[in-house]
Amino acid sequence: MADTGKPNKLNGIIDCDVHPIPRSLEELHAYLPSRWHKHYFSFSRPFYNHPHHVLRLDALPEKGGAPGSDPDFLREQLLHQFGIDYAILLPIPNITMWPNPTMAADLARAYNQWLADKWLDNNNSDGRFKGSITVAPQDPQAAVREIEHWANHPHMVQVLTDSGSGMNYGHKQFHPIYETCEHYGLPFAIHPTSEGLGINSPASPGYPTTYFEWSASLTFSIQAHLVSFISEGVFERFPGLKVALVEGGSSWLAPLLWRLDEGWRGLRNEVPWVKKLPSEYVRENVRVTSQPLHSPENKEHLLQIFEMMNAREVMMYASDYPHWDFDSPIRTFPKMDGDLKNRIFYENAKDFYQKLP
Amino acid sequence: MAEHVVATVGEIREGKRKIVKIGNISIGVFNIKGEFFAIKNICPHKGAPLCKGSVQGMYVCGDDLDDVRLINEGEILRCPWHGWEFNIKSGKSIVDPNRYYVKNYEVTVDREQPVDAQVETFPTSVRDKNVIVHV
Repeated sequence: MADTGKPNKLNGIIDCDVHPIPRSLEELHAYLPSRWHKHYFSFSRPFYNHPHHVLRLDALPEKGGAPGSDPDFLREQLLHQFGIDYAILLPIPNITMWPNPTMAADLARAYNQWLADKWLDNNNSDGRFKGSITVAPQDPQAAVREIEHWANHPHMVQVLTDSGSGMNYGHKQFHPIYETCEHYGLPFAIHPTSEGLGINSPASPGYPTTYFEWSASLTFSIQAHLVSFISEGVFERFPGLKVALVEGGSSWLAPLLWRLDEGWRGLRNEVPWVKKLPSEYVRENVRVTSQPLHSPENKEHLLQIFEMMNAREVMMYASDYPHWDFDSPIRTFPKMDGDLKNRIFYENAKDFYQKLP
Repeated sequence: MAEHVVATVGEIREGKRKIVKIGNISIGVFNIKGEFFAIKNICPHKGAPLCKGSVQGMYVCGDDLDDVRLINEGEILRCPWHGWEFNIKSGKSIVDPNRYYVKNYEVTVDREQPVDAQVETFPTSVRDKNVIVHV
């Protein structure tokens, strides 16, 4: 890749996991039917809350409000400071927690309208904020309508839901969502936060005790969803569907695919709709985001994992701003060859998000 | 090693801090129970502005693993990003003190009446003595 002369020596940076939040519950209520105002009490989860600070303490906007609530401050502290070209915005409404599918769908609609209003249509003159269409899988038909409503918005680049779920996402009940994503060329992203909360199964065999245990376990639910997508034949039924696995880690990918590929060779007859090696579906349809990137004692080990998991093709950079486990683009990765670096920081996401200019 | 007057004693109350710039170095000056300590404002882990973190104690347990106690209250700085804990007095991290530590600086309190002119634009008070960082 040619050096474009940018200070970071990359072709560019696309940050695939940035979290905007409403300034207040009232700001969100303006977009939510009043019948739910008393039901939806807070942004936070009922438990598994971070014991110290889930939001970076230095990310408090100068003009007030919580970290991630001020587009101007976020643009300055994240985009300008680190030379990031595009921030893919993923609100965290904990949408899958709620037992009432109508309420969940209305909450998704509220978040989408809020996101468009506060971050995409306004405060976005340079077009560097790109949004996610939040959907509530509790009501797949409403989710389809929501995608159809926003699909042609110039800055909505993907569909998003929580990886916390009562059901693995390969199941047929969710297929209308994937059909719609495929139709509009919108990737489907899953992101942790509501595992084991509300109506959701925990990612572990039982309920974790602490935030430490809960957050370490999130990677399990992402893996379970990936196995489900593949084994239910989602990528055969919707070959154009792209799936982003966000914030679920990635170093598990290689051994999981070895296991799946090996299992498929003997069990293919049970899943005849799985027509290729599972690893081939991942290469063609699935991308994982980098954060939280591991920090092994020996940096070489990380590069070996990148090689084994085919990071050159499947990994996309993410910072998780403004969360506590923020991965700065400067001091997080080991030294890599220029092509690998550009693929992870820019090219893979540029190819994945069709609506990026 | 040069002396830099960075504040007056009364300016940094107990439990509070002031982040100052000496040359190109950002430094946090902390008042722990009347004693002053200064450490560099960069986390050795991932480069966060360390001194913007929260000042707390730390939980430990004794021989009985369920006997959890809070110790060193007011002496532990928690990084504003990844939450690593550092002992403000030594600059050493709690998780791996010999590998992850932040540079700390000698701090003295001027026993004389304060000078009129302070470095940069810090406010002065003629009644308080000066906090001096040695860099």
